[in-house]
Amino acid sequence: MNSSTLLLAALILLGVGAVITVFIARYRTLCGYVAFVVVLVSSVWISLVSWTALTTGPVTVPLNFVTITAFNSSLEFVVNELSAIFLLLTAFIMTCASLFSIRYIQAPMYQRYSLTRYYPILLLFYISVISVLSVHNMLFFLCFWEFMTWTSYVLVVFHWVEPESSSAGLRYFIAAHVGTGCMVLATIILYSHAGMLDFSALRDTMAQLMVSSPVTAHTVIGLFVIGFATKAGILPFGFWIPAAYRAAPGAFSAVMAGCLEKLGVYGVLVVFMLLTPVSRHTTVWGVWIAVLGTASLFVATLTALQQTDSKHLLSFHSIGQVGYIWLGVGAGLALLRISPPLAVMALVAGLFHAINHGFFKSLLFCSASSAVYRTGVRDMDKMGGLMYIMPVTAVSAIVGSLSISGIPGFNGFVSKWLIFAGTIMGGLSIPSLVFMGIAAIFISAVTLASFVKFLGMVFLGKLEVGPEVERREVPVSMIIPQVALGIFCILFGVLPVVAIKPLYTAVSRMLPGNYAPTFASVFGSSPLTVNLSLTGTASGSWGPIVVLVAFAGCLALAYFIFRMGGAQTRTVPMWLCGEEHPFAEVRYPVHSFLLPFNRLFATIYPSIPMPRLPRPSTILRALNIDDWLYYPGLRLGERIIRVLRATHAGNSQLYMLWVIVGAALAIIVLFTM
Amino acid sequence: MTFVLNLGLALLGGPLLAGVVRKMVKARVHSRQGPPIIQPFYDLFKLLGKEDLESSPSLVLRYAPMVALAAILAAALLTPMGVRPPLGGHGDMIVFTYFITIAAVMVIFAGLVSASPYSMMGAGREIMMHLVVEPVLIICLVIAAIKSGSLVMWDMAAWNYVNGPSISMIVGGVALLLALQAQIGKIPFDIAEAETEIMGGPLVELSGPKLALFEWAFFARQIVYASVLAAIFIPWGTGFALPWNIGAHLLKITVIILLVGLIDVVNPRLRIDQAMSYFFGVVFVALVGMAFALIGA
Repeated sequence: MNSSTLLLAALILLGVGAVITVFIARYRTLCGYVAFVVVLVSSVWISLVSWTALTTGPVTVPLNFVTITAFNSSLEFVVNELSAIFLLLTAFIMTCASLFSIRYIQAPMYQRYSLTRYYPILLLFYISVISVLSVHNMLFFLCFWEFMTWTSYVLVVFHWVEPESSSAGLRYFIAAHVGTGCMVLATIILYSHAGMLDFSALRDTMAQLMVSSPVTAHTVIGLFVIGFATKAGILPFGFWIPAAYRAAPGAFSAVMAGCLEKLGVYGVLVVFMLLTPVSRHTTVWGVWIAVLGTASLFVATLTALQQTDSKHLLSFHSIGQVGYIWLGVGAGLALLRISPPLAVMALVAGLFHAINHGFFKSLLFCSASSAVYRTGVRDMDKMGGLMYIMPVTAVSAIVGSLSISGIPGFNGFVSKWLIFAGTIMGGLSIPSLVFMGIAAIFISAVTLASFVKFLGMVFLGKLEVGPEVERREVPVSMIIPQVALGIFCILFGVLPVVAIKPLYTAVSRMLPGNYAPTFASVFGSSPLTVNLSLTGTASGSWGPIVVLVAFAGCLALAYFIFRMGGAQTRTVPMWLCGEEHPFAEVRYPVHSFLLPFNRLFATIYPSIPMPRLPRPSTILRALNIDDWLYYPGLRLGERIIRVLRATHAGNSQLYMLWVIVGAALAIIVLFTM
Repeated sequence: MTFVLNLGLALLGGPLLAGVVRKMVKARVHSRQGPPIIQPFYDLFKLLGKEDLESSPSLVLRYAPMVALAAILAAALLTPMGVRPPLGGHGDMIVFTYFITIAAVMVIFAGLVSASPYSMMGAGREIMMHLVVEPVLIICLVIAAIKSGSLVMWDMAAWNYVNGPSISMIVGGVALLLALQAQIGKIPFDIAEAETEIMGGPLVELSGPKLALFEWAFFARQIVYASVLAAIFIPWGTGFALPWNIGAHLLKITVIILLVGLIDVVNPRLRIDQAMSYFFGVVFVALVGMAFALIGA
């Protein structure tokens, strides 16, 4: 089969899978396996298509029979280099998440919910993501975007019985639609000028608008940026994220953080690379995007440090990490006209961080969900020492935490390092970037602190679970996704060039020719060491293998020193100054862990109460049938019955009187007839 | 050759200089005789042979001391110590900062895994100190990066030697000197360990070779930080022939460490909130330095 058929086949297979899973949803395990196989097969096909797009150029699937003449649009799927990158990420994460779901969704807390609202919707969601990533027509883009919002909304409110879940869903629904509304408005403005909705036609229109009416052009770009920022979870537009990620089932939180958020990043790249030509505007908007990114990484990560709920902590970090991505992308766009090599580096950095964040955040959500699956609680204060019962999960969580904190040797380090290098070196031309870079480096240390807390409280320390908790590892089907994601975290950390090359291809083919320097002139020519050569000589370098080998050597030396004295080991109880205390008495709780520091930043994330909308009271009253029909009727009936009861209860003379009166009446009736 | 120099200086120079400080500075201030100069080595070797008492069966606790020492040694391999550092072509200032951070994280891990309230409290303090002190190092290195146009630490040192002192580099150097005391865990900023208060904080449950490795890592850390300050921000004494370069570097770090030792011995310990507000001041000084660097001064 050629690539274009494969893409269609994958979409059709997912559609068929969605229908089948509706009918077999009662068989919870079978349904999970069917969904997994469907996702796996279509992911393989999608990956093949994406790989073709990356190596030989865009793959086009025209579907001209879907034509909307009113808007002059016809459906066509185009997988270009940029969407190929995002499709590969989506395919991988969806596969992991659907495998993880099989057992996870059978946890006791989900037993009461029907799976018709899980697997079919998940497959439809996958279709919508693939479509969003591969249409090049604004009308269809918005349609699939909306479809994606609906499907993800249904999955967010999966535990609909809990009030906090439905309120989180409502927040998400409103925020997403405000965002979509902005994009629709922007599209209408553009359509009124262009008369067509193809990306290429819109690009020409934007080029004209930038010269003829720059205010309109800025408005359009601004509306698109707001729309995509809402989906990506950039503050202040991403206020819905913590509640939604916490409410969604763990496996879907992984998908949301791993690929749904990334569509916001994809959207911004599309706006600035496909919809608008490179101009002065790009620089201005680049700086603004970087500012938004920095603000959200700063605020969200410091807020994450104060959380005690493991999924809340992870979702605030999601906002923070997307901030890094936007910082990289923004710096790249800002520098595009000033220094193309630096710009390409920063864009690749942002894109690379998007991919890496997909891997490690999904991994962390899977690990945190495994901990919740096993213990049944979410508060980190009530967990501890899970390493002793769930070693593989604990190791995966450690890999994910080290990656997100950017420890050298893991993937997060490489992309953060590129972002830091891009902003610091970019500061020579745009000084504000340096301050953002420093904020990002500082926040990187905060991230580390907060994940040390996460690991320390959940996986390390003393084992502390209730007697009802089974003391064993989570099932294999929940371990495999974590291990697979973890392997990629390490692979991209040790051999960054493997990942940087395709990302460079994607970025450079999206840019006009004169803005795309060669790979070697940006990242150096060594396959093992990344040598940044931005000012002529090497101005930054990271050779994971050489440095890690040296580090291993140092480790061997340290081990030799450790063993030198030949000391014996003996196990002893904890020393509490000679007194004996039960462990619960001396346990140091999460919330006091970083108290002085948190007190300093306590008010950084202002929580604004949701405004209560004034609702017309008549409508409310009319809708409330209980109040004006049922209860009045009930009260009337009660009153009549009370009167009747009085005639039958009370003294027996009255009752006798009734009998006599009744008998008299009967006699009269009988004799008068 | 340079591998041996950097590792040797970090591993042997650290305890030796600490011994010098104890004999020459501390004992003199206290008007007493003081221990022999190589007393730190006696302590380390004695600890290495002592029984290793484990209060928690965790693997993390077993390997944290080794990783901490190894990370400091790796950072030492990236630090210019009078000559081009052996790993200079494969890692830059950001890699260096992260290795320093790894060592700090290992101390924190050790504290967390021990699960004693003292160690947990110490670990929390260690994190907070790291979070306020780390930005100073980063900003100072960024100043040097902006001035030299490179993130590679040897390029920064070379640039400062060729172009001589400039306002921004001097301000950055002063800020780094002000933060040095905390970076190497000396009074008034030894808040995380605080022997008299929380009995060594994260290290309270450690004994024998584990304690020795952490102690050794702390000694080596002094050399690494002093070297960064000396090589990048003090632009004199790098233009000679090779052995003289190294000699000049040794002289500079000895002076810095003696100064740090003097401050250590004449000050009382601060509370953590006092220390944090102090470091916000230092961060501000460093940012002023960066503003100078950005306008080219």
